[in-house]
Amino acid sequence: MVSAAGFLLISTGFIAMQQPAKPWIAPDKAAKTANPVKSDAASLKEGKELWVKHCQSCHGKSGLGDGPKAAQLKTDPGNFSQAAFQKDSDGAFFYKISEGRDDMPSFKKKLPEAEDIWNIVNYMRSFKK
Amino acid sequence: MKKLHCHIPVLRRSICLGLVTLFCLQLQAQDATSDSTKPAPVAVKKKPVKNTFESNWIQDNQSVMVPIKGTFEMDIQHRFGVVNNGYKDLFGLYAPSNIRIGLSYVVIDKLQLGMGFTKDRLQWDVNGKYAIIKQDKTGGWPVSISWFSNVVIDTRPKENFATGGDRISYFHQLLIARKITEKFSAQIAPSISHYNNIEGYKDADGKIQRKMKNDHLAIAFMGRYKLTDKTNFMINYDQPLTQHPMNNPHPNVSFGLEMVTSAHAFQVFAGNYHNIIPQSNNFFNENDIRDGQFCIGFNITRLWNF
Repeated sequence: MVSAAGFLLISTGFIAMQQPAKPWIAPDKAAKTANPVKSDAASLKEGKELWVKHCQSCHGKSGLGDGPKAAQLKTDPGNFSQAAFQKDSDGAFFYKISEGRDDMPSFKKKLPEAEDIWNIVNYMRSFKK
Repeated sequence: MKKLHCHIPVLRRSICLGLVTLFCLQLQAQDATSDSTKPAPVAVKKKPVKNTFESNWIQDNQSVMVPIKGTFEMDIQHRFGVVNNGYKDLFGLYAPSNIRIGLSYVVIDKLQLGMGFTKDRLQWDVNGKYAIIKQDKTGGWPVSISWFSNVVIDTRPKENFATGGDRISYFHQLLIARKITEKFSAQIAPSISHYNNIEGYKDADGKIQRKMKNDHLAIAFMGRYKLTDKTNFMINYDQPLTQHPMNNPHPNVSFGLEMVTSAHAFQVFAGNYHNIIPQSNNFFNENDIRDGQFCIGFNITRLWNF
């Protein structure tokens, strides 16, 4: 009972420590950049592979922000299935993946080919509910 | 061991057949993908096949992979003792182990330089790997080819050596790999190892004879099968080719799992090799698969991108 209460306290403490994500607006030019990669089966397949390797540990399998490392983050990784996230343009997604911020690492060096990031953007669209 | 060397001509034929097969196999998965795609808005250009292997290591051998420019890697490699003692040393986990800690950096596109220190023989190594050719999705090269070389210095006390040069050994390996399907990749890797100093003995006439030659040829075959997006099964076989006067090394079989994330690769496996340094493995492997002399081992790599 005591340990269960302790666990609950620690758990809620952890959750309480995680900050909601601050507003993140991509620069206008980046947000207006058109996605040059068609969202076809090949793109989605590559996007999924990259997502599993680079993104899933924090953002979760379906982009719900429930990956195994999500609880260790200082900021809430967000829920990509929600309309609030999906309303961002492809260019804005690209910018945020590429540049990173706070807990979110920059991927422009790890994924130097733009096509890889566009494939991830295309795959992220599949999370929309 | 003799039996194995009797089969070397057969093995050579098998190796040739294997090479031809590797070159001829069609890139089914990639081709299937490209067939299903209509002209993309992105300009058509050469598309190297990605993730033939997902780590620099395939257990005790190098993979064809050279990470992207600016990648800094730290390796922690561990080989426990042989499993034969069973519970006495918990299947080798509490037996004397061998450890290597290595660092490497991709200084320019396709070229990785590294160094490391290994517990066995207190060996320092410097190494380089260059990606000569990359397999192409769009009808270019059917295989990826890389070259790996190292120079190793044995830093044990000077009583072990007649001259400073005796401490040096070299290893060169050609890595030829093909991503055959999305899940299966294979690699063939012929190698040559060289030790400046090899142990000798005095025969009945008092003449000094060599126990081994200074150069040793070998060939390795490796395969990777993706079980899930992050987990791979890996298998490897190393066959010695050079016949030495005595002390012929045993072949190596290793198999295990690889778990890969964005910044790590973790491999856990069982194999006959214990020495980690490739020329030491190829020259001096005493663990015999027929006697079940396997060692449990792991490789951990941590990647940073600068």
